[in-house]
Amino acid sequence: METIKNYLESMFASMPNTPEVRKAKAELLQMMEDKYNELISEGTSENAAVGTVISEFGNLDELAESLGLTKEVEVARGMETEMPRRFISLDEVKSYISNRNIKALFRALGILLCIISVSFVIILGPKGTEIFSGIGLMIISIALGVGFLVYSGFADHEWKFIGYESCSIDMNTAAYVKEKKRSFEPIRALCVSLGVVLCVVCWTPNILIPFRYQPLGAGIMFFVVGFGVFLIVYSNSIAKGFDRLLNVNEKSTISGQYAYGSSYNRPVKYKSKTAQTIVEIYWPTVTCIYLIISFLTFSWGSTWIIWVIAGVFHRVVTINCIADEN
Amino acid sequence: MVEISSDVIRGYNDTMILCILMKGPSYGYEISKQIKLISEEKYVIKETTLYSAFTRMEKNEHIESFVADPDPDGNGKKRTYYRITEKGKEYYREKCEEWALTKDVIEKFIQH
Repeated sequence: METIKNYLESMFASMPNTPEVRKAKAELLQMMEDKYNELISEGTSENAAVGTVISEFGNLDELAESLGLTKEVEVARGMETEMPRRFISLDEVKSYISNRNIKALFRALGILLCIISVSFVIILGPKGTEIFSGIGLMIISIALGVGFLVYSGFADHEWKFIGYESCSIDMNTAAYVKEKKRSFEPIRALCVSLGVVLCVVCWTPNILIPFRYQPLGAGIMFFVVGFGVFLIVYSNSIAKGFDRLLNVNEKSTISGQYAYGSSYNRPVKYKSKTAQTIVEIYWPTVTCIYLIISFLTFSWGSTWIIWVIAGVFHRVVTINCIADEN
Repeated sequence: MVEISSDVIRGYNDTMILCILMKGPSYGYEISKQIKLISEEKYVIKETTLYSAFTRMEKNEHIESFVADPDPDGNGKKRTYYRITEKGKEYYREKCEEWALTKDVIEKFIQH
């Protein structure tokens, strides 16, 4: 049955995405499914059943005519021959994803090195000209960081065409990317929340470390920020790669909807208006509470725990406020 | 083996579908199965042809569609059913007369 579904998908891939076309596709699939099930129940082998169903399907020209889509189909075909969309195979997609991971890593590392470069001067002092002095380490760190950033810019050179050439992927590949994206989602959520928490609590070393060692506190602060930013940049950069792949198909055609079903592209549906308000004001409220409590108690050293609690609680809130995707 | 050319049969797909719907409402696969059965497996209607005929005839108000469950217990998956309208019945009778005439004429040119 999977083969039949894929066959139908590929037949409809370049058809305009309209209610009539979607209905036609659903009805045809139902007829094919009925025929397939009957053949199987009569004892036909699966391969033979698939073969019969596909050979008796017919062609889409006739359908386009009765749906009044002849012009659209011709336009799509014309575009196809004039400027063929570059087809990206599953293998190519796999190597794009691993390449994207490397790019993301170098990019995030580059930014991390640039941010922490300052702390060497802060911790070791601005004096000295030898390699392991504050200035020396700062320059090395910046040089490496910039080097990594440049490298990450070139790392996906062979995939640049995805940005400016029109491409297409088939349904199987889209399903593969979506699965990859789904399994990456929890990791991304963790990285981003941890990153945000690190950026917010970055200056706590200043308070925890006694005043006389103060430069150390400031130095550590940049390390903490750097690591927080690293986590955010790294995970977002990988996620962006998945979105890019899912969005290569022409939006107005049936194949354009492969991207949907992924949470980023679909607008979030809330259970009610109140639920939406709760989710929208959640983080601002937490920030207010954090600042108020911290300023009132002046125990900045321990109030950061609010972020951790809020992070856990956020999951509970969103689960209860966002309507189920299906 | 001789096969029916789709160009020749095109004008009569509607007649076959309407004939089956004269006996009562039915849905996509059931209709195609009936056509195969009645034609003694000499003609198998393609899915796209069948669906095109449905949309065309619905637009012309010869048939109307509704959603129902083929399983009398109501546990099955819903199908789009089609039923013939008064206008459709009239159209069917016209098509039958037209075919009688066509057959008469063509027959005169067939040498056995």
